[in-house]
Amino acid sequence: MTESQPLLDVSGLSIRVAGANRPLVDDVSFTLNSGETLCIVGESGCGKSLTALALMGLLDGTPLRIEGGTAMFQETDLLSASQSTLRSLRGDRIAMIFQEPMTSLNPALRIGDQIAEAVREHRGVSHEAGRARALEMLERVRIPAAESRLDEYPHQLSGGMRQRVMIAMALANDPALLIADEPTTALDVTIQAQILDLMRNLGRETGAAQIMITHDLGVVAEMADKVAVMYAGRIVEAGSTEQIFDDPQHPYTLGLMSSMPSLSGKSQRLVTIPGTVPSPQDMPIGCRFAARCPFADAACDAPPPLVDLNDGHRVACWHAPIENAGIAPGWKETA
Amino acid sequence: MTAPILQARGLTRRFVANKPLFGAASIVQAVNGIDLDIAEGETFAIVGESGCGKSTLARLLSHLIEASEGSVIYDGRDISILSGKALRDLRREMQFIFQDPFSSLNPRMTVGALVGEPLRIHKIGTPSERRAKVAELLRKVGLRPEHADRYPHEFSGGQRQRIGIARALATGPRVVIGDEPVSALDVSIQAQVVNILEDLKDEFGLTLIIIAHDLAVIRHIADRVAVMYLGEIVELGDAAELFAAPGHPYTEALLSAIPIPATGARKVQTKIEGDPPNPISPPPGCRFHTRCPYAEDQCRTERPVMREIAQGRQVACHLAERLTLEGIVGTEKTRPAAVADRFARYSAARAAMSASPKSTTLKTEE
Repeated sequence: MTESQPLLDVSGLSIRVAGANRPLVDDVSFTLNSGETLCIVGESGCGKSLTALALMGLLDGTPLRIEGGTAMFQETDLLSASQSTLRSLRGDRIAMIFQEPMTSLNPALRIGDQIAEAVREHRGVSHEAGRARALEMLERVRIPAAESRLDEYPHQLSGGMRQRVMIAMALANDPALLIADEPTTALDVTIQAQILDLMRNLGRETGAAQIMITHDLGVVAEMADKVAVMYAGRIVEAGSTEQIFDDPQHPYTLGLMSSMPSLSGKSQRLVTIPGTVPSPQDMPIGCRFAARCPFADAACDAPPPLVDLNDGHRVACWHAPIENAGIAPGWKETA
Repeated sequence: MTAPILQARGLTRRFVANKPLFGAASIVQAVNGIDLDIAEGETFAIVGESGCGKSTLARLLSHLIEASEGSVIYDGRDISILSGKALRDLRREMQFIFQDPFSSLNPRMTVGALVGEPLRIHKIGTPSERRAKVAELLRKVGLRPEHADRYPHEFSGGQRQRIGIARALATGPRVVIGDEPVSALDVSIQAQVVNILEDLKDEFGLTLIIIAHDLAVIRHIADRVAVMYLGEIVELGDAAELFAAPGHPYTEALLSAIPIPATGARKVQTKIEGDPPNPISPPPGCRFHTRCPYAEDQCRTERPVMREIAQGRQVACHLAERLTLEGIVGTEKTRPAAVADRFARYSAARAAMSASPKSTTLKTEE
């Protein structure tokens, strides 16, 4: 996997909000090759969306500051690049899809014009060529009667159709990297299936790398080649989809999987993760999951490094793998 | 099955979608002629996608809105004709949990006042008895009695949903209806609330009616499931059986669209294309025929009625007997021993964590 230069190499990304004692996103590193799909999975407030916004250079004008790290994308460091450099990359080499298409589309512009605008902005082509490309893209995302849709406004479309328009717009300039932040969360399950199917096929056709941000492990298993599990601003476990699902190591990953109701088999009582995520003002120095972790002990007061267990499977836990750490069931009662 | 505690007969609700100055108003038939029998003590789930009428049905069942036609029978009495004191008495026995714990709790009331309000309204107990009851209810949903003096904004989403549950349980209801009670919550918090709902149901012998779009939660929590499409129930049956072998093509399409969180599992399939038709002018015949991969001529003209195709299973589909539909079976691979052991260790350590007296106050709810 490492023979060639990765398309995106994020290293040590940290983001801090003014007044917080510790970074909201802390030392996040990952790489992504062309054609790969990385899913960043985690619950509300884990920093998965902030990571995406930082890569897109969209944190300017917010109280959030990038504190450190680099994100090399085709010889450009996205974290230190000027706004004009980023502006020429965004919507061209790197595109982004957001959760709620209604708030990301301009309600006053016909969808054909919105897509054409993205093309003309970066390609400088004529109005007609932009419109032709818009039509081509609408057909590509399988919008029925695409030609007549060109002149419709976003409110005339259903949620699923709007998300297709967003995807058409994002892919109009053949980006090398597509970042999708919860692209199907607002959609019904049958519509979600259509969009996931579309994104997988388009990824295959265009060869674009994808970063998909989601809270849904089902979507992860469906889409990902690689997975990064985030908790409270840190990557706690990362690896291939097989490594994460077939050999989960971090207690948070175990807890997350145990919390999920099964779709088949018997309905046992769910094994939960106790408590809630620490607040951003109150992040511990050590392992950020320790307060909710059934295996936590004094060792967890120091921040666990993300270590490579084998073949790229990285875990940030002092006790991993749990079965070798001498932690027996019920150890806590005797401790 | 025990005697039904709640029944619907021909339940219909129409809304005016658009009333132009001249000409006819356009009408949405949100719920269309639904018959339902809910047994005492069961967990009954209603599933369907946006706009299928599931929330309207829940509100009709609890008489939060009035039916256009048909009736709801609670414990042998038609509740659609109740008013005044009789309706208030019904509210004691039938309570509602809302989806959004941020908008359903009055931000200017303390948690104690919120949970105690139903007791006050129904004049149950003396003020000191009510305070004790509030403390007990808070403990039951995993909060602490001293939380009674705080305000909703001081709590996380999961904690607020617990407050909503405590409030719903205050009057000692027999039926609790939850409209997407865990949909707004993160997975780990959702699991906590699902467990609380199940515990309380057992403890108080509640009948639970859960509206949801998350099929995994439904599969876990429900005894029986009704699947809705465009205002009608298209399939009804035992949850485990219905998930393993659906009888209606729409149920099959729903199940095939769920992404399964495991490697090597089947990928999502798009058995149906496009969006649901406009409910203002639903298609003739079977309402699903425009998207149904199996539709035949009969389906385009003749409306199928719900009929029993097996013990306890009803389906509204002309072709039910002829189709062999795919459900969700055996999605879980057997884990390698070391990984299974790891999950067992997590589960045991987690159990030990809540058992030890230190940790109950430690991290359960801060």
